[in-house]
Amino acid sequence: MSVSRDTIVAILLLAFCGVLWHASYDIEITNYGTMPSTVWPRIVIVAIGAFSALLLLRSLMLREEPADDAAPKAPFFQRYRNAGIIYALFLLFLLTLPTLGMHLGGALFVFLALTALGRPSARLIAVHALIAIVSIGVMWSIFTFGLRVILPQGDILPI
Amino acid sequence: MIVENVLFAFQEVFHWKNLGLMVIGTTAGLIAGSIPGFTITMAVVLTLPFTFGLSPVEGLSTMIGVFVGGLSGGLMSGMLTGIPGTPSSIATTFDGFPMARKGRPGLALGLGVWSSFFGGIFSAVLLVTLAPSLAKIGLEFGPWDYFALVLFALTITASLSGETLVKGIIAGLLGLFVASVGEDEINGVARFTFGNETLESGFDFLPVLIGLFAFSQLLSDVQDTEKARRPLMSGVEAKGVRVEHLAAIRIILSRWVNVVRSSLIGVFTGVLPAAGGSISNILAYDQAKKASKNSSEFGTGTPDGIIAPESSNNATAGGALITMMALGIPGDVVTAVMLGALLIHNVQPSPSFITENPDIAYAIFIAFFLAHFIMISMQAFCLRAFLLVVRIPMYMLAAVILSYCAIGVFALNNVQDDIWTLFVFGLIGYGMKLLGFPLAPMILGVVLGHVAELNLSRAISLSGTTDQFLLDMVTRPWALFFLIIAAFSVVFPWYQKARETASWTLAYLPALMICLAVPLSMMDGWPRTLIAVVLALGAVYLLVRSARRGWSVSTDDAA
Repeated sequence: MSVSRDTIVAILLLAFCGVLWHASYDIEITNYGTMPSTVWPRIVIVAIGAFSALLLLRSLMLREEPADDAAPKAPFFQRYRNAGIIYALFLLFLLTLPTLGMHLGGALFVFLALTALGRPSARLIAVHALIAIVSIGVMWSIFTFGLRVILPQGDILPI
Repeated sequence: MIVENVLFAFQEVFHWKNLGLMVIGTTAGLIAGSIPGFTITMAVVLTLPFTFGLSPVEGLSTMIGVFVGGLSGGLMSGMLTGIPGTPSSIATTFDGFPMARKGRPGLALGLGVWSSFFGGIFSAVLLVTLAPSLAKIGLEFGPWDYFALVLFALTITASLSGETLVKGIIAGLLGLFVASVGEDEINGVARFTFGNETLESGFDFLPVLIGLFAFSQLLSDVQDTEKARRPLMSGVEAKGVRVEHLAAIRIILSRWVNVVRSSLIGVFTGVLPAAGGSISNILAYDQAKKASKNSSEFGTGTPDGIIAPESSNNATAGGALITMMALGIPGDVVTAVMLGALLIHNVQPSPSFITENPDIAYAIFIAFFLAHFIMISMQAFCLRAFLLVVRIPMYMLAAVILSYCAIGVFALNNVQDDIWTLFVFGLIGYGMKLLGFPLAPMILGVVLGHVAELNLSRAISLSGTTDQFLLDMVTRPWALFFLIIAAFSVVFPWYQKARETASWTLAYLPALMICLAVPLSMMDGWPRTLIAVVLALGAVYLLVRSARRGWSVSTDDAA
């Protein structure tokens, strides 16, 4: 018997509620005569738990999820390939931000994202590099000179 | 005093810098609204990082420009290609596209643009007249009433978000939870930080919002590789199209009843939390079709089919602003972002907002009027820009905008952790969308979480005990009023599904009317008692009529 997506989501949500409930015991109880800090989050956790249980029940009763469309779906990796690439590149951008700074890191992120998502061709790679440099350059100028925001500077190019 | 405030607001709004920002904002909104895959919300969200360096009036005027432009921009692609630019222009394509295909694209665009203008101006008039009155009512609210109002805002958002109700409510509750992370406002105690110091200040609302909406939306837009590599639109034939302004105005004025009815539908939908232009345009189209003597012409390119959705979707903006300005509750996600913009400038929206910040309030009124005039004057230019922008593939736009999101989020507080927040909530938003959880209730939960907790705490303190608090919640008229409509809004999705098949649905509206008559009769002042009596009598009439027809649901249709 296959388990529906909603069933898995509901179980994960219930587990999440369990973790949060346990974490709520770490909240300090004050004696200021006001509502304790644990009350509101616990109300919310209980409500999430109750509705997750409802979602679980409903998914078990319906047993099968309605199909989105009749067309066959692409394999999992292919379907979420682009989102995965973008997330990986964004994570890389964040991790290298202290070294590369916003300008270099940002330009590199845009270039790599464009190259990964676009068609592989030498001409397009040049176009992507140009777009990356111009777009980040324009944004960096607007924020630095127009809005007077000092964007994160990198160790490589501290501007 | 009012004259002074209005004059001061005029000065602020008509300052050359503000006018320039509004022109840029409206143009950007028109173009963003015309691109399928881009939403008005995303356009307004992306404007936000710029507003922190501006004054509150400049920031809000720019955002209002984007909002109004976005609502009107969707019609361009809808009419010229049959693909609506935004969900708020879906119904416009039903008749706009056929009219353009019949060789009248200029008239179709003219009808759309001017209907948007008239709908917007109609709602602006209502905004100016209703918001201060509604704010006076809001001043009657105690913490119990506010807490109940937040509950209502969350339940109605969940039930109208178009997905399953349970998932909508869970999304709203997750938003409330996100708002509770970090130092508690009441006691100053850290919550759910898991030993991480950066979490002690909680999640900033704006990176969360940009992550949930913009980041996740862009990832959805590039999910299909082939689609992402193609130009946004192909085969758009609009060269030499001239908007037929005069002919359109004549037709619209001759159908003023449709404009007024649709605008009223738009304003009412906008007033409801989270019910935006995507709902109002379809509702207005449906009502125009039902009211028309030539309903069979709908779908073939009739002017009424363009006037109704376009006047209603722009009117929705006015309705959403009424709720935000009068009650401090966002009417939709766009006004939630505006609320965030106000918070950046330490302005707390509440019922006293208009009296405490009259300069900003009146500036919003004037900017909303002005944005419609700018929208009309920029339409021809934007039509050309639209033809250029749609040649760009989505993946190029997405990569550049993602980097802009990172820079913009950092600029809000000059904190790198905010970019991490953007990243994490981008992931959460994308995952939630894939799993069928609507994002609007979560956004509202994040925005209203603090308001809910603060008012719950105040209410319990004032009531003394939990039992007394619960009693107060059902004996205070406004709290009871909001609890009743919250309860009915939970049942609403079932009512909507079963409306034409189950006989119990005939009792839904009368039951709501009778229930609402109870808190209204408990309120001070004879007008409210009168409304309560009218509601009760109306409910009795509906029940008797249904009973006489033998509780048959298809009587009208059959006839």
